[in-house]
Amino acid sequence: MGIQDIYQAILGFDEERTKQLTRTEIDAGTDINSILNEGMIAAMDEVGKQFSEGILFVPEMLMAAKAMKGGLAILKPLLTGDAAVSKGTIVIGTVKGDLHDIGKNLVSMMMEGAGYTVVDLGPDVDADKFVQAAKEHNANIVALSALLTTTMPAMEATIAALKEAALPVKTIIGGAPVTQAFAEQISADGYSDDAPGGVQLVRTLIGK
Amino acid sequence: MYDRMQTFTKEELTSLHDASMDLLQTTGIAFNEEEALEIFRKNGFQVDGKTVFMTEKDVRKALETTPKRFTVTARDSKKSVEVGEDDFVLAPAYGPPFVAMQNGEQRKATMEDYDNFCKLVQTSKSFNMNGFMMVEPSDVPAETAHLDMLFSSIVLCDKPFMGSPVSKMGARDCIDMAGMVWGDKEKLKEMPVTVSLINSLSPLQFSQEMAGSLIELARYGQACVIASLIMAGSSGPVTLAGVLALQNAEILAGVVLSQLVKPGAPVIYGSTSSAMDMKTGGLSIGAPELSVVVSATAQMARYYNLPSRSGGALTDAHVPDAQAALESAMALVTAVRNGINFILHAGGILGSYISAGFEKFLIDEETCLMVKKLVQPIQITQDSIDVEMIKQVGIGGQYLTQPKTFQLCRTEFFLPGLVNRKNYAGWRDEGRKSLHETASEMVKERLASYEKPDIDPEIEADLSEFVWRGKNRK
Repeated sequence: MGIQDIYQAILGFDEERTKQLTRTEIDAGTDINSILNEGMIAAMDEVGKQFSEGILFVPEMLMAAKAMKGGLAILKPLLTGDAAVSKGTIVIGTVKGDLHDIGKNLVSMMMEGAGYTVVDLGPDVDADKFVQAAKEHNANIVALSALLTTTMPAMEATIAALKEAALPVKTIIGGAPVTQAFAEQISADGYSDDAPGGVQLVRTLIGK
Repeated sequence: MYDRMQTFTKEELTSLHDASMDLLQTTGIAFNEEEALEIFRKNGFQVDGKTVFMTEKDVRKALETTPKRFTVTARDSKKSVEVGEDDFVLAPAYGPPFVAMQNGEQRKATMEDYDNFCKLVQTSKSFNMNGFMMVEPSDVPAETAHLDMLFSSIVLCDKPFMGSPVSKMGARDCIDMAGMVWGDKEKLKEMPVTVSLINSLSPLQFSQEMAGSLIELARYGQACVIASLIMAGSSGPVTLAGVLALQNAEILAGVVLSQLVKPGAPVIYGSTSSAMDMKTGGLSIGAPELSVVVSATAQMARYYNLPSRSGGALTDAHVPDAQAALESAMALVTAVRNGINFILHAGGILGSYISAGFEKFLIDEETCLMVKKLVQPIQITQDSIDVEMIKQVGIGGQYLTQPKTFQLCRTEFFLPGLVNRKNYAGWRDEGRKSLHETASEMVKERLASYEKPDIDPEIEADLSEFVWRGKNRK
């Protein structure tokens, strides 16, 4: 019942209400993992689905993600057991030479909304920096973005560097000119043509 | 404002006007309708056989009583429309005998097609007025088809409708039926509930049907578009300047007749003149010359303080392809931007008026919504500029998560109902559909979503009986 209200508050883009309801549920002794999974993550799954179907618009999806993050911040210190560990860590950035980051930011916010820890390196990130960050944060996924055809080769170089460093990470790529065929060509582990698809992809690759 | 389309100078407008006055005074104009000739004679005009001669004074006198704007009352009064000045009406196709099918073939239109267009207009966000003869039905007798069409127009849709100027009798039937809806046809005299299309027969004639209809409709205060369709190079001069002078003479002659019948009767200055295709001899309504004439017509109408009419989504293409889209958009944008007040054929027309397409109707509908957005002014206020927000986001920030973006994301921009905005993968995964294929699916959805608007069952029964009697009269 109470958890359902949190779910609804997120779908209603209401950060304050999400926070307030999260506190109420915590005080009432509701199972923390249930609040997280059935309230927050389930809500963001629905948001992603509605976005893919064209029902929700981009700013609305982001507002829902913001509401969820607000609730999650309250929940985090209390998370125990499996839930205390993040579902996974994603290092994300726009590759070297490319300053475009709107699409990448969108993906970041969606991933956070889905319960992943996201380390956003920003735009114009070289291969070394991706490798360093992946090491430092024990990343499960490195996500690369490019908007320009001229910077797509930097994706290939970054993936090569990660492989050379022999890190246990999966790589995913995205951006307007990027295709599944290109992903295969440069040996990326995955590609998605939109942000919610990216979340699905990460789920499949991490396996949780 | 700076616009690359030509704005006539006062001198140019006067030259066109003077040429038209010269024509009306020296060549005259033929009215193939005895009652019209009688009206002219009674009012002291020089009439020679069927030719009527007019002076500038006659024209000026008529223009003293023509309204510059008027309301067309709808069956659902919330859907009444304003015609004139900044207000404009978008009305559907008019006259095509065929329906264009998706496979590129044509078939004869039927009453079912007509009814379906009524339903599409009723459910339309673009079209604020229902048409007449949106297709010419082949499965009902031609002499009484206007009764079937008027019945459908009134009963299936509660937006204002177009009248039937097919003959004197046709016009009277229209007035009688409208009278049933509004309780008494005498009421109509001060309340236009229809707009009818009166065309001249270029060069310099009015047919019996058109002149007769004009008289009947004006008598009952019903609005008439008085329009000229000159094919430059065949039914009119090859130069557009000559076309403008000739069509102006024809239109003004019709306006004069309307005001002699009933001073103050609402009239609209109309034209759909265009170039003849020099290779085929056919009329081209996808030609850029059409749009040039649309702009000029709007300017001439304003010169006389009259509302104006032109075509809208006009094309020579036979299927809703890229040619149809580009030609239609060009004419529609020109009509709206230049201030045309009554935009007929704003949706559905194909093949130089020979066919109507349901898919084309929906595509044009989308264009209409875009064009409405095109002319919607940007509100310049402190709140709409919001320089503080821009400062706050600063250099290299983003606006996606600004509360204002969230608040306005559903209302600030035009939201496409039909055109593709998906990325390649999204478009591909939905079946690589072209616009007309998407439209074809939406036609079915739209017709399925249609709900018949309320009408007093007694009125509907009366109308039905009137139609039955009309079809059985000798």
